[in-house]
Amino acid sequence: MKAQHSHLPFAILLMLAWRNIWRHRRRTLITLTSIAAGFALSVLMIGLGDGSHNSMIRNAIKLGEGHITVQPRGYLEAPANHKYLADGKVLQKKLDALNVAGSAESRITLQVLASTANNSVGAGLEGFDPEHDQRVAMLQPQLVDGEWLTTGDARGIVIGDGMASKLKAKIGSKVVLMAGKQGGDSQAQLARVRGIFDSKVDELDDYLILSDLALAQRFLEGEGADLAQVPLTRFAIFLDDPDSMAHWKAQVKSSLENDQVVVMDWEEMMPQLVQFVFVDDAGNYIFLVLILIMVVFGILNTVLMSVLERTREFGLLRALGLSRYQLLMLVFCESLLLSLLAVTIGWIAGGGTHWWFATHGIDMAALMGNGSTAMMGTFMDPVIYTELSSDRVVQLTGIIFIATLGSGIYPAIKASRVTPVEALRT
Amino acid sequence: MALLTLKGIDKVYRQGELEVHALQSIDLTVEEGEFAALVGPSGSGKTTLLNIIGGLDSPSHGSIQLNSTEITTLKESQLSDFRLLELGFVFQAYNLVPVLSALENVELVMVLQGRHVGERRERAVHYLKLVGLEKVMHRRPSALSGGQQQRVAVARALAAEPRLVLADEPTANLDSENATALLDIMHKLSHEEKTTFIFSTHDVRVMERAERIITLRDGAIVSDENVERHQREHAV
Repeated sequence: MKAQHSHLPFAILLMLAWRNIWRHRRRTLITLTSIAAGFALSVLMIGLGDGSHNSMIRNAIKLGEGHITVQPRGYLEAPANHKYLADGKVLQKKLDALNVAGSAESRITLQVLASTANNSVGAGLEGFDPEHDQRVAMLQPQLVDGEWLTTGDARGIVIGDGMASKLKAKIGSKVVLMAGKQGGDSQAQLARVRGIFDSKVDELDDYLILSDLALAQRFLEGEGADLAQVPLTRFAIFLDDPDSMAHWKAQVKSSLENDQVVVMDWEEMMPQLVQFVFVDDAGNYIFLVLILIMVVFGILNTVLMSVLERTREFGLLRALGLSRYQLLMLVFCESLLLSLLAVTIGWIAGGGTHWWFATHGIDMAALMGNGSTAMMGTFMDPVIYTELSSDRVVQLTGIIFIATLGSGIYPAIKASRVTPVEALRT
Repeated sequence: MALLTLKGIDKVYRQGELEVHALQSIDLTVEEGEFAALVGPSGSGKTTLLNIIGGLDSPSHGSIQLNSTEITTLKESQLSDFRLLELGFVFQAYNLVPVLSALENVELVMVLQGRHVGERRERAVHYLKLVGLEKVMHRRPSALSGGQQQRVAVARALAAEPRLVLADEPTANLDSENATALLDIMHKLSHEEKTTFIFSTHDVRVMERAERIITLRDGAIVSDENVERHQREHAV
């Protein structure tokens, strides 16, 4: 029994579309290969970008003030030695009660003038726990001379090789550390060089002086702090799971934040790094768009050619009773299948490429020539491993799929506009 | 009763300021079951008339009724459905969808008609047997000869149960043997299935088998002969 209107089951439509895309096997394979290659390149580029950015961020967080920082309100806008957390002991108890999944490091940051008999330079004095702080793992291996600090050492300092060079200091040298006080006076402490490090990051090597908390707290005492209350500049909180930052920030904020104390995350603490990552990412996406344009034109060419070659066949189908809409859907399904194949093959190629570089990495230090991977006050790991989050996977798949599918719209519309009588004359 | 009635059919093509009258005041009635040929020199309007009857083109003036449906008033989507349900087509060449087998090509129109898979398979196999192609039904057109492809087209046209089959120069690309074989099949099926056939042709072999010959010249019908009546009247 016949229906009253043209009826094309989806299974038949798909079958026709599938067979049509394999009519010219070589052309289809070339198109799919070019898409897969473009996609693999995009995956590598994005993966490498994310890998290098995440490496910089991880190192910046480790070298810097953690995922979450608790510090005096107004300190970030205008750092000053007299701005400190006077009741570090109380805040520590509150932090301990939260059971943060990670560690909270006590730190003191001061602006000082470091002087030897030979020279004086402005420096940043960082007081911390030299046994347990996150920085230990990063900087202790960078020692090139001398020893690391010990807990409770109220005189010892470790300086960068750039600073040592400026001060003409060596192991055992005396260094006078002088700081201004809020009232206008100044105060000074005598320190002795225990070790010299070379981190390959100029901002650290030329500027940073490391000491135990004990030495740094003397300066806070000079600002009127009560040492029994464990005065600090900040708590630097390092999370075991960086993805839990929003959760823990909210927890710490509700427990500790008041009109004297502010809780910030690393993005708020290091906006320049955030901006650098954003701009670099944008550059990668511009490159991705260029690749996509080539991919889209590749598919458009293939599908359009196949439509133009089949004008007479479309005329025949229309004469037999296929509607314009059904013809449009047929050609669109061909693009759909081509897109699905392209994404699948693209992910096999791209996924394989990503797996290789995620496992073996790329030696960035060698590529950057001087062996240094420092930038923006932080550094990348010497060997970068590509990283792809699930969000990126969805994003890249969506972009390629939509681009390839979109390139099939014009050929589908063109096919649907075929008039039988003109087409059959060709 | 007349299956097809054409009244006052004109077709004018405009090429810039020039008007070309492809058809002029065509009046024609075709009865059910007729096996009729449109003949005439190139440019006489045979294909144009066939396209208009088939709803592939529209007349400038006039009326066409097929089985009491006025074709000229149908919208494009209605024409598409009309062709699907009422008409069968056999073209000079490129009749078949290259990616479908002979069997699938015959089934195609029945798929569009929404017939059940069992019914359409049965009918497709039946008509392929009738045209002598049951052994090659799973081959694609590229693996069939020209004559075989035309026979598949005939099977497809008839399997869909049309009221009228329109064939535009179906034997033009065939050698004598294949042309004769194809015409014999079509003539035989026309009688068995009681399906009306209208051909456009230059081919004398087609004319010899036609029961009615409608001659066109310069877009007008110049003669319309019922061949059997003519032969009886002129028999010695």
